[in-house]
Formats: sequence, structure tokens, C-alpha cells
Amino acid sequence: MGWLFRTLNSSIGKKVQMALSGLLLCGFLVTHLAGNLFLYGGREMFNHYAKALEENPLLPAAEIGLLLLFLLHIATALRVTYGNKRARPVAYAKTACAGGKTIGSATMVFSGLLLLAFLIVHVKTFRFAPDRSDLYAMVMAAFQNKLYAGFYVAAMAALGLHLSHGFWSGFQTLGADHPKYTPWIKRLGLAFAAAVAFGFASIPIWASLR
Amino acid sequence: MTEKAKRNYTLKVWRQKDAHDAGRMAEYRAEGISPDASFLEMLDIVNEQLVRKGEDPIAFDSDCREGICGMCSCVIDGRAHGPGAATATCQLHMRAFEDGATIVVEPFRARAFPPVKDLVVDRSAFDRIIASGGFVSVNVGSAPDGNTHLVPHPVAEKAMDAAACIGCGACVAACPNASAMLFVAAKISQLSLLPQGQPERAARALNMLKRMEDEDFGNCSNHGECEAVCPKEIKLSNIARTNREFIRASVCSDE
Ligand code: HEM
Ligand code: SF4
Ligand code: FES
Repeated sequence: MGWLFRTLNSSIGKKVQMALSGLLLCGFLVTHLAGNLFLYGGREMFNHYAKALEENPLLPAAEIGLLLLFLLHIATALRVTYGNKRARPVAYAKTACAGGKTIGSATMVFSGLLLLAFLIVHVKTFRFAPDRSDLYAMVMAAFQNKLYAGFYVAAMAALGLHLSHGFWSGFQTLGADHPKYTPWIKRLGLAFAAAVAFGFASIPIWASLR
Repeated sequence: MTEKAKRNYTLKVWRQKDAHDAGRMAEYRAEGISPDASFLEMLDIVNEQLVRKGEDPIAFDSDCREGICGMCSCVIDGRAHGPGAATATCQLHMRAFEDGATIVVEPFRARAFPPVKDLVVDRSAFDRIIASGGFVSVNVGSAPDGNTHLVPHPVAEKAMDAAACIGCGACVAACPNASAMLFVAAKISQLSLLPQGQPERAARALNMLKRMEDEDFGNCSNHGECEAVCPKEIKLSNIARTNREFIRASVCSDE
């Protein structure tokens, strides 16, 4: 087992865990967004979807798996970020961007921490809401609070920023790179980041304007 | 040939007596500089003036002064090896800076590159990474037949591109995380692509990457600042290859 421990604690090993968990979380985002879009179909359609989801016997296992993915992603991200800060004890007086880094890549830990704050509030308001009899009404009511809707939209902007770098970065970390398709992964990553951010953010905007 | 108009600059240079000194920025005037002078020649001129005044000259590294040895360094105006693509500091000319400009000159900064004096840092961490696996073990003696080891042309090109790394450390200096991944990836790629590198392939990847971590370099976040400043245009694809080499060595090899 020594090799496994060594691998998971190595620099690339930590990055691989972060990339795998991050990309799996991207998969979760797709299913979650697809479900949320039922809101546009009205009360009956959304509540029907939510009921079917809650009655699925695999849901608790999926929720625990999701929680573990988040914990793994956040734990490795913080370990990696700590190591990176430690590696440069004295800062430069002047820094310039040579053309590599982007706003997305330079702010990963900040967009990530904002997402973490969002996730805590989000799970508390929706997953652990006191009254879950009419979920459609509950969502609509929550977004009547402009402050909450604004926070939601800001968090989705952070998500878009996070994925504008994270999506491609995850593939690069896993070694999935070739001139044949890397330009396409980069484009797909930007499109995915924008689609997910706009998709999620459209709901509070729509709900609070209604 | 007509003499080109001389230029004047203000330099803000990092001065630090030794590893224990806190260090500070100091300001100097560089006057009457030809636009055709190299950046290091400009520093030489400033140093001559300092020596004449009885002051300590600015310590900086250089050797070949033609972009092949990897000895020169410096972060100039926030960029490792200064402005200009695919050039080392020794290949930088003063025509790249406008007359009257203020130029900020700092050493490469990383925990793994401890300061020695002024702009000079200790990059021997790279030597220790090479010693941990950046070699092939072959019997010397009579030269083998040219066709003993067949290497397809595209593979030879990739290996040669990776082998162009001069070990300057600009990738570490430019990386927001002070990561040495581009350097290590160039060295691992160069050897793992070629037949001669196969016997030690897995051990090399694991040992060099372990040494890199033990030297306190940061982790790669795939920013790509390293690739942008590299005087030899070493590509990020070498880092992806190294990630594959590491995964392969960890999961599929006997190491
Ligand atoms: C829906 C939620 C999230 C998704 C889909 C996601 C996705 C990703 C992906 C795909 C990567 C790229 C991995 C790589 O570079 O190999 C990444 C990196 C990162 N994530 Fe997340 N992430 C999420 C939430 C978070 C949270 C809550 C944090 C909290 C700290 C976080 C912090 C980071 C950091 C710091 C990095 C980059 C570290 C580095 O490469 O230096 N992420 N994320
Ligand atoms: S990869 Fe480029 S920047 Fe890094 S040490 Fe080699 S030549 Fe210098
Ligand atoms: S002095 Fe040799 S590369 Fe610059």
C-alpha cells in the first residue's frame, strides 16, 4: 500500500485527484442543471421531477458520493494551494502577465472559496428546507429575496470563471493532451463554463423578475 | 554607419548583500546607453560606474551571453528574461526599452532558489533533480550502428524540442506557484521518448518528480506562464506527457 499512499500524496497525485473530482463534479452540474430547467415547465412538471428524484432509492448513495467528491476536491485544492504559496516566500515587486495565465486561472482558489460559501447556503436553503411539500413554491419564494438571488448569480459567475480554466486544466492534468484535440477541449471548456453559468443563473433572474 | 542616439534609463535593482540580508530595491541611472547594447552590457556599464565610485557592483549571473548556457537570469519589468519571446536575458537588447524608461530588475524568486547576492540565486536544486534521474545508463565504448535504435522522425523532433531546455529556471521564476514542472517535464520527455531512455523510464519519472517536491517547488496549476517566458519555447504538452509518465509509472510499473 506504500505506493498508493505515496502516489496520492505526490504533487501530480494530488492534482489528479483534484482533476478527477472536478471533472466528475462537472458531470453532476449537467444533471443538476437539467433537473433545474424543469422549473421553466411550471409547478406540476418540476414537482413531479423532484418527487421522482426523491423516491429513487439510489439518491442517498448518490448524495454521499457527491459530498465525498466535494470534500476530496476542496481538501486537495487547499493542500495544493498552500504548497504553492509556500513555494514563493518573497513576492516580486513587479509582476506582469507573460500571456499564460487568465483571470480564471489566477483566481481558482477565490472562485472556489466563493463556491464553497455558496454551497453551504444553497444546501441549507434548498436541501434542508423546513417545508419540502411544494418544492416549486419554495424555490420561487426563495428567489423573491433579491439579495439571495444576487448572491446566487454572483456564485454562478464564479463557477463560470472557475470552469473557464478548470475544465481544460483537468484534462491537461490527466495527461489527455494532443494537438489533434486540445484546442477543442479548450473551446469546449469555455462553452461549457458559459452554458453552465448562464443556465443556472437564468433561474434566479427569471424567478425574481416574475 | 551613423551612431544611433544614446538612451538614458532609471534602474530599480534588487540589492541584497547575502542570503541573510533582508534586501531592498535601489535606484540607479544608466546613461548614454546604445540601443544596440545588450541588457547585460548595460548592467556592465552601470557596474563600471559603481566600481569607479567605490561602490559594490551589482552581482548578476551570465556566461555564454548567446542564449545557450542557461546561466543568465533576472525578472525584468515583471517578466522572467524580460520582454521579448524566446530569448534569454543575454539576448535582450536595450532597443526593447523606450528612452527614459524605468526598468525594474529582480532576481528569480522561489523557495527552491535561495538568494546568493543581489540578482544571483542558487539554482543547484535543478542539478539535484538531474542527478536523481535525468540521465541514461549505457555502456560507453565503440559507437553503436546508426540504425540499431529506430526512432520515427516526429518522435525524434519532439525529443529534440524537449532537449532544447537550457535549465535556466525562468519557468520557475514566472510560475505563480514557483513550480519546476516545465523544466522537469522537458528532461523527462526528452529521455522517455527515446529508446535509450526506456530501461529507466518509470524510475526516472518517479525519482525526478520526488526530488522536485523535496526541493520545495510548487505544484503545476496549468497557467502556462512558464511556456510564455521559456527562452527555448518548451511546450506545455511536455507537462501533460509527464503527468502520463507519472501515472503510468505509479500504476503500471514495478517501481
Ligand atoms: C461545482 C463545484 C466545482 C467544480 C465543478 C470544480 C471543478 C474544478 C476543476 C475541473 C478543476 C481543475 C483541476 C485541475 O486543474 O486539474 C478545479 C480546480 C480547482 N478547484 Fe474546483 N471545482 C468546484 C468547486 C471548488 C471549490 C468549492 C473549491 C474550494 C476551495 C475549489 C477549488 C479549486 C482550486 C483551488 C483549483 C485549482 C488548483 C490549482 O490547480 O492550483 N473548487 N476545479
Ligand atoms: S523549460 Fe525553458 S524556462 Fe524552464 S529551465 Fe528549461 S529553458 Fe529555462
Ligand atoms: S548567458 Fe548563457 S544563456 Fe544567457
